[in-house]
Amino acid sequence: MAYNTIRIEKGKGGWGGPLVIKPDSKRNKVVSVTGGGIDPISQKVAELSGCETVDGFATSVPDDEIFVAIVDCGGTARCGVYPKKGVYTINLTPVGQSGPLAQYIKEDIYVSGVKEENITLAEEGAQVTQTAKSESTSSIASKSSSNGNGNGNGKSSFIVRMGKAVGGVVGKFFAAGRQTVQMVINNILPFMAFVSMLIGIISESGIGNVIAQAIAPVSGSLPGLLIVCIICALPILSPILGPGAVIAQVVGVFLGLEIGKGNIPPQYALPALFAINPQVGCDFIPVGLSLGEAEPETVEIGVPAVLFSRLITGPISVVIAWAFSFGLF
Amino acid sequence: MDFLANLAEGFIGLFNAGGATFMGLVTGIIPTLVVLITFVNSIIMIVGEEKVEGFAKKMTGNFITRYTIFPVLAMFFLTNPMAYSFGKFLEEKYKPAFYDAAVSFAHPITGLFPHGNAGELFVWLGISQGITELGLPIAGLAVRYFIVGVIVILIRGIVTEKITFMMMSRKEVN
Repeated sequence: MAYNTIRIEKGKGGWGGPLVIKPDSKRNKVVSVTGGGIDPISQKVAELSGCETVDGFATSVPDDEIFVAIVDCGGTARCGVYPKKGVYTINLTPVGQSGPLAQYIKEDIYVSGVKEENITLAEEGAQVTQTAKSESTSSIASKSSSNGNGNGNGKSSFIVRMGKAVGGVVGKFFAAGRQTVQMVINNILPFMAFVSMLIGIISESGIGNVIAQAIAPVSGSLPGLLIVCIICALPILSPILGPGAVIAQVVGVFLGLEIGKGNIPPQYALPALFAINPQVGCDFIPVGLSLGEAEPETVEIGVPAVLFSRLITGPISVVIAWAFSFGLF
Repeated sequence: MDFLANLAEGFIGLFNAGGATFMGLVTGIIPTLVVLITFVNSIIMIVGEEKVEGFAKKMTGNFITRYTIFPVLAMFFLTNPMAYSFGKFLEEKYKPAFYDAAVSFAHPITGLFPHGNAGELFVWLGISQGITELGLPIAGLAVRYFIVGVIVILIRGIVTEKITFMMMSRKEVN
């Protein structure tokens, strides 16, 4: 089959790219890791380039056979995992460099907010982007302390060694600080802004009282929490509710507000933490397993195994948390 | 005219309230969070991944530590999402159960150690803010969230392991 070079540009509000890429006989699979079958964008990419599409949730593909990975990540995990592995990544959600793996998200390997019209055949003789598989190693910090006795001539060596050791440790503290501040700016502050806006609108406009009347009776009792939990754990819903834990976080904020106002008794805080979150990571199973170097057969079994397990363990977790709440408040 | 003025006031009021909330979150949570996360990140860097890996591998032999200490270590030292790469130390048949256990700890860890999943803090923060609002301490809740988290991931590990085994043997029969 003949492969074509395609050009993928970022969509509205998107980031990264444009990628001008061409599959070859080995890297020729378009992997759709979007949950719920093959995404139309994956279809389009495959059609234009001459590749085949693979549902990343149903089957796993070795990294070096992936032409491009299509994800719909809200900004935590999937958007960084593939760039880290050196795989071209198209994110359907307009997300820039974010998440714990933000450092790997670069313009020459990642493009986001992509819609169908952003994917075109490249013009004749276009320069093909060459970044996939260029292993980026950034573990400089961990090496710095081990080369202490390099030029050790007797007298100065102790001081030199001590200086280097201290320098190494200080360097690590500094790197840790920088990593932390980066994390706060990339992930924590944006979410706080979003949560604040939500809280402001809800509490001031009076919508809050309406929601409270609906939510409070459900979340203020064990059976109610169990029902919430079972719904979230349904294998059809759980992969959709998962991405970025956004749903769990928003619901958490809601329940927090109601607890603060006294509409939900505080002893339901702990079971609620589990009731709103039986879907944790259900959107991420194939990627998480491939991070653990699982075989494709394991992924095929692992996805339904985890999804079904949640239906059983979700309600159990709520009951355990409920039992552990006695004597807390 | 008065109507418009009231409307504008009401409109901006929404965002004043939001701004006050934002201010509270930034000044109330971020300072401690930054220092705490910096501290834990330094420890992780000083200890080094190799040593953690060496120790973690010893925890994979039996099912109790495999679905408690092992995923907790993974989440603490590698954080979400790299924690799941610890799956490579396990046999294929245990990988789905390990993933399930590890990912289910992504939020219970944030009560005590927010660095473990700093991008998704509001599952914990949202609810714990409500408790703070009532003037109650949240330390006890954080500890219990952690403990119940460990118990739940053990159960998840065991249940998912059983389901995986069942599905694998059924597949072999076919």
